[in-house]
Amino acid sequence: MIGPRGWATILAALCIGLAASASRAQDYATAPMPGPPRPLTIDAPIEQRLSNGLRVVLARRPGVQIVTAQLVVLSGAEADPPRLAGLASMTAALLTKGTRHHSAPALARAAESLGGALDSSAGWHESEVAITVTVPQLDAALALVAETVREARFAPAELERLRLQLLDDLKVEYARPETLAALAAQRLVFGRGAYGHPAGGTPGSLRRIGRADLLALHAEYYRPDNSVLVLAGDLDADAALTLARRHFGSWRAAPRRIATPAATVADEAPTTTAVIEMPQAGQAAIVLAVPLPRLGPDRATAAVMNEVLGGGYSSRLNQEIRIHRGLSYGVHSGIDARLEGAALRVAIQTKNESAAEVVALLQAELDRLGAQPVGATELAARRAALIGDFGRGLETTAGLGAAVKALIVAGLAPTDLPNRIAALGAVTADQIQHYAAAHLGATRRRVVVAGEAPQFAGALRAIAPDLLSVPLAEFDPESQDAVAPGRRGPRK
Amino acid sequence: MAPCWLRLGAAWSALALSGAALAAAPAPSLQVAPILYTERVLANGLQVIAVPSHTSPMVSVQVWYHVGSKDDPPGRSGFAHLFEHLMFKSTRHLRAEQFDRLTEDVGGSNNAFTSDDVTAYHEAVPSNHLEVLLWAEAERMSNLEVVQGNFVSERAVVEEEYRQRVLATPYGRFGDAIPGAAYQAHPYKRPTLGRIDDLEAATLADVAAFHATYYRPDNATLIVAGDFEPAQLDAWVDRYFARVPRPATAVPRVEVEEPPWTRDRSVTVTGPEVPLPAIALVWLAPPVTSADAPALQVAAALLGRGESSRLNQALVYRQRVASQAGFDADLRIGPGLLSASAIAAGGRPLAQVGAALAAEVERLVREPAGAAELAKVKIQLLTSALLTRQTPEGLAAAVADAAVLGGSATRVNTDLAALRQVSAADVQRVMQRYVGAAHRVTVQYVQDAARP
Repeated sequence: MIGPRGWATILAALCIGLAASASRAQDYATAPMPGPPRPLTIDAPIEQRLSNGLRVVLARRPGVQIVTAQLVVLSGAEADPPRLAGLASMTAALLTKGTRHHSAPALARAAESLGGALDSSAGWHESEVAITVTVPQLDAALALVAETVREARFAPAELERLRLQLLDDLKVEYARPETLAALAAQRLVFGRGAYGHPAGGTPGSLRRIGRADLLALHAEYYRPDNSVLVLAGDLDADAALTLARRHFGSWRAAPRRIATPAATVADEAPTTTAVIEMPQAGQAAIVLAVPLPRLGPDRATAAVMNEVLGGGYSSRLNQEIRIHRGLSYGVHSGIDARLEGAALRVAIQTKNESAAEVVALLQAELDRLGAQPVGATELAARRAALIGDFGRGLETTAGLGAAVKALIVAGLAPTDLPNRIAALGAVTADQIQHYAAAHLGATRRRVVVAGEAPQFAGALRAIAPDLLSVPLAEFDPESQDAVAPGRRGPRK
Repeated sequence: MAPCWLRLGAAWSALALSGAALAAAPAPSLQVAPILYTERVLANGLQVIAVPSHTSPMVSVQVWYHVGSKDDPPGRSGFAHLFEHLMFKSTRHLRAEQFDRLTEDVGGSNNAFTSDDVTAYHEAVPSNHLEVLLWAEAERMSNLEVVQGNFVSERAVVEEEYRQRVLATPYGRFGDAIPGAAYQAHPYKRPTLGRIDDLEAATLADVAAFHATYYRPDNATLIVAGDFEPAQLDAWVDRYFARVPRPATAVPRVEVEEPPWTRDRSVTVTGPEVPLPAIALVWLAPPVTSADAPALQVAAALLGRGESSRLNQALVYRQRVASQAGFDADLRIGPGLLSASAIAAGGRPLAQVGAALAAEVERLVREPAGAAELAKVKIQLLTSALLTRQTPEGLAAAVADAAVLGGSATRVNTDLAALRQVSAADVQRVMQRYVGAAHRVTVQYVQDAARP
């Protein structure tokens, strides 16, 4: 139906003759048949390299007048030192808050006068400065990106300003039950490994981070041989290389090797089910997470399995929980794929009194994936939905750039982009069942419910006897054990 | 509100640009090619707009019904939105959720949203499925047959949507309370999501009556954008939509007028968990069809668009009284709202935040914006228009918005031209008229006194 460029182009030629004969007798009671398939062509991105080691990756989308530019540093939250959660994130955020030449307001004004905005952030194994502008503004936009990445000042006054803003932001975030459930679940599945810590920082860590910490992280990781310039949109390979040389050609790497951060993955925490008691929560937020091994050739299998389970509107979880039972506005599952490990994560909100019922439904659907093969019709439909979402994501320069970046951060070749569709299309029911049976076992699952606990704790304890319940005031996002220091067993 | 699930500078003149790269700033003028479309009206009153574009093998089919939450029946707040969810249930010839089979299962997507003025249904599918979707949209325009079980379960979903968006989100109650605090009489005062007790009072008979009253070809606009052949599209549209009957009765229209705001008012809303207090200053806006609309959109961008915007620079960056600050020109078919809003920074009294917000808005009433600042927001707005036009869905939505809300599809192109023409004097004039010389409503959002 939708395929990589080679055979898809042949299909396009066949379509022309058939379309005209599609008219036919029909009553209005049944849907007309679809016409012959139309091809989706995805050009392979082009990778080039500067002599300082900077990789330059171009994904073309001719005719759109727009380019999304991302300078991606291949280090992020995993490099946060112990007790300094959020350092990579703050480092990235401060890049745009003043350089040797320009103040924070001047940088914002300059970027926005080009029609875009300088967007800097850090994730797992990546930190970036990105901007989307029209083609005539690209040269000036890249000058700003280069200036922020290479010449950030980390001025003390800007650090203090950002610190207070982030602390305010955390106050708002921590009022969301889904934020707390997700933070606790991440710690439960990744245990004491670096992947378990809050990438956005904690109220404690944000107060501890000092300017020297920022300068050290920046000096260590922000270097051309640890970075990729991703350009997605309306330009050609020669222009990409010329612009990369102009703005990043004189960027020099420090002679030393890049430090390897501490272990990212550890055994999951012993607590299997935790409750965060939020007396004011208007809904209960549930996160179920399962640690997965680092993705390899099974990446497409995990993706299709997730699509069947909870990846889209018609997934099994949404069918059972929203469509059939009206228990939620929606449920979503995703594969949190990081370079050295991964997790399946299901997130849902429901009225407090329904929380235990929903947890049981989630568990039953995970059981089913390992117990029975996915039916052929369902598999074909969910593969098509996933491939369709992937293809539509590439229709914008921002989406195209994000897809290319995801491959690079995962350690895959960006030129692999067109092959993703074929890989997803080849996943079988057997592969999904085997993958689920091997990795989604009941003992590996971790569940966190944040909400008005008296409404659901009794029913939840009936299905999860080792339930650990923690009052909101005791929830500690820095705890390496689970959700609160030293609290590893059942609490009545 | 979608049925689907998961789904915020005073120193402008003082801080002159200095570097070589930055000095290049006043950029070459941005050319935005006009959207080419065709438009016709079927004998039954259906407005049909076609926007060919072959950048991907996809097509977007959208039906925008000219009905929204302002049309909720009496005692049935939230009904237009609940009804939107029910349009994905059974019809005479479609099973419940069959729209998902016709879209997701073949590599497409579908969704819908309800606003105060419109309810829009939209699909993106590989273009060989265009005919199927035209059939299906005509089918649910003609033959909706929701059954009790599906009605009850979907109503429960909508109640969970209310809990998720209003009760379980930090500023959900604040946003939900603003229309009711602002409007005096216009049905815009009802929040689109409604109230749970009104949703519980709804019946299947209400569903049938609402469909018969508003879901009809002479109250709808069909927009198709993307990869199609125009003559073939016309034939299919004639085949599936021309047979949908046009009722003899007139479509009821909201006739209540919002009386002039003759004094400043103030409302305090409380919540059980308010992390930081918030405030909104709200003024009445002219209809989206007003000649003043482009200047108000430029004013909103000067005040609230991006990190360099006046409110962010003044309240968040320089004075540090707010953690977020923004400005929204919510222009509608009827009287809309202009809102300046801010969330306090930790420890800052709300009165101080409100005073700073008011002072910055009033500066734009008093003093003309500079040329560079004006050029900045224009390129921001034009770039944003280009970004939305990258996909068939975005193209269709841009034309639909112009046709249905703006009153004419041509506005998708003329509005951008009008935007380019807005002068600093225009901005100052509309700010004087709608803000400086007008009364406002202040809405404060604070913690319940009863916090344990």
